[in-house]
Amino acid sequence: MSESKSLWKDAFERMIRQRIVLVSMAMIVLYLLLGLFVGLGLIGGSWDQAIGEGYQSPSFDSIRHWMGTDIFGRSVLLKMIHGIQTALIVGGIASLISVFIGLTLGAIAGYFGRWVDDLVVWFYTTFSSIPAIMFLIAITFVLEKGLVTVCIAIGLTSWVGLCRVIRGEVLKHKNREYVQAARAIGASHRSRIFRHILPNIFHQVIINFSLMFQSAIKSEVILSYLGLGVQGRPSWGLMIDDSKLVLGRGIWWELTAATLAMFLLVLALNIFSDALRDALDPKLKSS
Amino acid sequence: MIRKVGLVFGIMTFTLASVVGLSGCTSERNQDPDNTVYLALGARVDSLDPVFADDAYSNPAVAKVYETLYQYHYLKRPLELEPLLAAKLPQWNSKKDELTIHLKKGVLFQDDAAFKKTKGKGREVTASDVVYSFMRLADPHLRSSGWWIFDGKIQGLDAWRKNAGEKEQANYDTPVEGLEVIDQYTLKIKLTAPSHQFIYFLAMPFTSVVPREAVDFYGEDFRRNPVGTGPYVYHRKQSNLNSKLIFDRNPTYREAFYPKVGGPGDKKEGLLADAGKPLPLNDRLVVEVFQESQPMWLKFMSGDLDLSGIPKDNFSSVIKKNGDLSDEMKAQGVKLEKTPVPDLTFVGFNLLDPLFKSNPDLRRAMSLAYDENPVIEIFFNGRAVAAKGVIPPGMDGYRKDLDVGYRPHDLDRAKKLLAKAGYPGGKGLSEIEYLTNVSTTGRQMAELFQKQMAKIGIRIKVNLTTWPEFTKAIDNKNFQLFGMGWKADYPDSENFLQLFYSKNQTPYGSNYFNFKNTKFDALYVESLKLKPGPKRTKLYEQMNAMIAREVPAIFSVHRMGYGLIRPWLKNYKRIEFEHNQAKYYRIDTNLRKKKKK
Repeated sequence: MSESKSLWKDAFERMIRQRIVLVSMAMIVLYLLLGLFVGLGLIGGSWDQAIGEGYQSPSFDSIRHWMGTDIFGRSVLLKMIHGIQTALIVGGIASLISVFIGLTLGAIAGYFGRWVDDLVVWFYTTFSSIPAIMFLIAITFVLEKGLVTVCIAIGLTSWVGLCRVIRGEVLKHKNREYVQAARAIGASHRSRIFRHILPNIFHQVIINFSLMFQSAIKSEVILSYLGLGVQGRPSWGLMIDDSKLVLGRGIWWELTAATLAMFLLVLALNIFSDALRDALDPKLKSS
Repeated sequence: MIRKVGLVFGIMTFTLASVVGLSGCTSERNQDPDNTVYLALGARVDSLDPVFADDAYSNPAVAKVYETLYQYHYLKRPLELEPLLAAKLPQWNSKKDELTIHLKKGVLFQDDAAFKKTKGKGREVTASDVVYSFMRLADPHLRSSGWWIFDGKIQGLDAWRKNAGEKEQANYDTPVEGLEVIDQYTLKIKLTAPSHQFIYFLAMPFTSVVPREAVDFYGEDFRRNPVGTGPYVYHRKQSNLNSKLIFDRNPTYREAFYPKVGGPGDKKEGLLADAGKPLPLNDRLVVEVFQESQPMWLKFMSGDLDLSGIPKDNFSSVIKKNGDLSDEMKAQGVKLEKTPVPDLTFVGFNLLDPLFKSNPDLRRAMSLAYDENPVIEIFFNGRAVAAKGVIPPGMDGYRKDLDVGYRPHDLDRAKKLLAKAGYPGGKGLSEIEYLTNVSTTGRQMAELFQKQMAKIGIRIKVNLTTWPEFTKAIDNKNFQLFGMGWKADYPDSENFLQLFYSKNQTPYGSNYFNFKNTKFDALYVESLKLKPGPKRTKLYEQMNAMIAREVPAIFSVHRMGYGLIRPWLKNYKRIEFEHNQAKYYRIDTNLRKKKKK
């Protein structure tokens, strides 16, 4: 007797059938490992030590020279790797904050409807009419600058998309038979939302999380580039900011290292989340 | 005294601050007279109204159309004031708090539609015009950025300002006690206290003389419709404050001549070839605005620019390691000019902070741990000299041999002093916050500072802020360390020493450090009473050494200005504080044609 496949197992099997998705997954795992190693202090701990003269072009003298040196003679490669940690922390924490807000508000609005729905819809419509970058800058001004602020600011400004999706899904599900059945056996509101409806729409959260993750990384780079982001630790945004003044002199390596690192991670995450959406939500499948 | 004008960030790209020149494309160029001088500005100009001429870009623009009572002699060094609209240097009374100024007779405003009575013909400048122009600086409704130069200095002017602020409009017909019109060509200024520095303000573009008719006629648009007495008329039709400013010879300009005497060596340099010739020596100035340094540089390289600074990023391609001009540039006949800039960059302490207040040894240790050499190399391409005190080279009271032991860099002594201060190896010290402005170079300088302090165990936390946040923190005395620069407003070292006078503490003045020392205050007040001379110089030296010993700031560098001049531009001599030098420039038209081919 063949066992029926679960949604997740089925999705996983669909995904690994595509080679590009496999590559992007491998990429993400590599980034995660590098980020973890940096966090554990296994690599990149000496990023702020000078390894030679300022602005040495890339060479094969040692691994640390592969991407040349920056203004103070520090290894660009180490800074780039160290930047992974910053990007992953910001991406992870900001997305979690955003998922928490979006999920809660969306579920409440969709489930209770009426004035609660009106209120939440009014709130997120108003909220999303404020340009996100302005809002980000405003928050970083109010809170003390640093990594935590960046996470909070990005988290607070990126939940609207998820909130809309969840609200719609809950609206759709709340009158289905299984929810009615749950109601009939006396399940509370909370239990109906979180134990019955949520598991059925959770794939939306996963998809949105992965999308938000990469947009949070981009936002961090922009904030740091503007000088409002992380301070005192390497970030790709700071590296791009550093390199803009010397690009005219033909010093391309710092910009290349930072943009390449960001490009690969964001691309991998994008491909991964697209594939994830196709796999988990077959109705949306594009081709 | 709030000297916002003097505020220059330590990280400002100096190359752009110095004015540079260039041209448009060939077709436009053909319409220009042969002897046109092509200049450029590093930023757009907001207004050509003198009361807003508060930066390095609007100053030269304003000074082409407008004139002040006095100007600096173009060739003599050290700088010397000479009359411009005035007939002679002012007469002081014996107490030195009253000065009488005689105006030149027959000076005309440029022809303009604003002069309705004379059907567009410019009328003669009188003493009332001078008084009117000075009162505009004080008008609170105009919100001039130049009020600080008169703030509290002229009898009755502060009261007039206060009164005007309470009304909807200032009344310029109310007399001000300290600004008295004696007759058509004579006025008397009464000061609240004797001042040897006051006359320098009468050479700053803020105090340019404007006709009341034009201000009333153009209203809000006066900023785009300048009407002055200067050697050039602003070409309103073809100019745009955002991109290109064209100035044509003023046909009714009075008789004024190129100086007949210069400093030593000026004759050899050919700077006296045009001695005694009528000004201006060119018919048109084309000033193009460049927000970015690269396009400007490309224009200079193609020869469409007569004068240029050197963008930081192009420095190594133009200047050789030994400081000489590259062979390619030399072959083109380009001249390099290097002059010290009267400025100072520093890292200041907040002396009200409990950590620094009564612990001079901590400040001294940090000063010794600071290494200016990488700063000069990395951020100024070697175009700066180490600072030991507050007075820059070339100014009164500067001593090359000043050495009180807390500058320059000495790591071992820094460590010893830190231990003496009570924090051996930095133990017991919490993180110190360093405030600087949010810009790439500002952040990089902060990072370098952080690394240098880490060498003696001091941890620095960098706080990058916008300019308004920065000034707010400093005015509220809510900071520990800050990075900044100061450029002199006038050629008197008093402009640097006043930074430490206790009565100038923020928010009333520019003593950002909240430095208070009764001995210093006494010397400062004493020096204000003295005429320029050996006695005052001695006092300046004494005060400078005192500041160097007390270390209210870590003195970093004094910058150098580098300029490149095309060979066909004659009579160029770098001059600080003065902005109307374009009238002296002459183009060797044959040489330009030949070289450009």
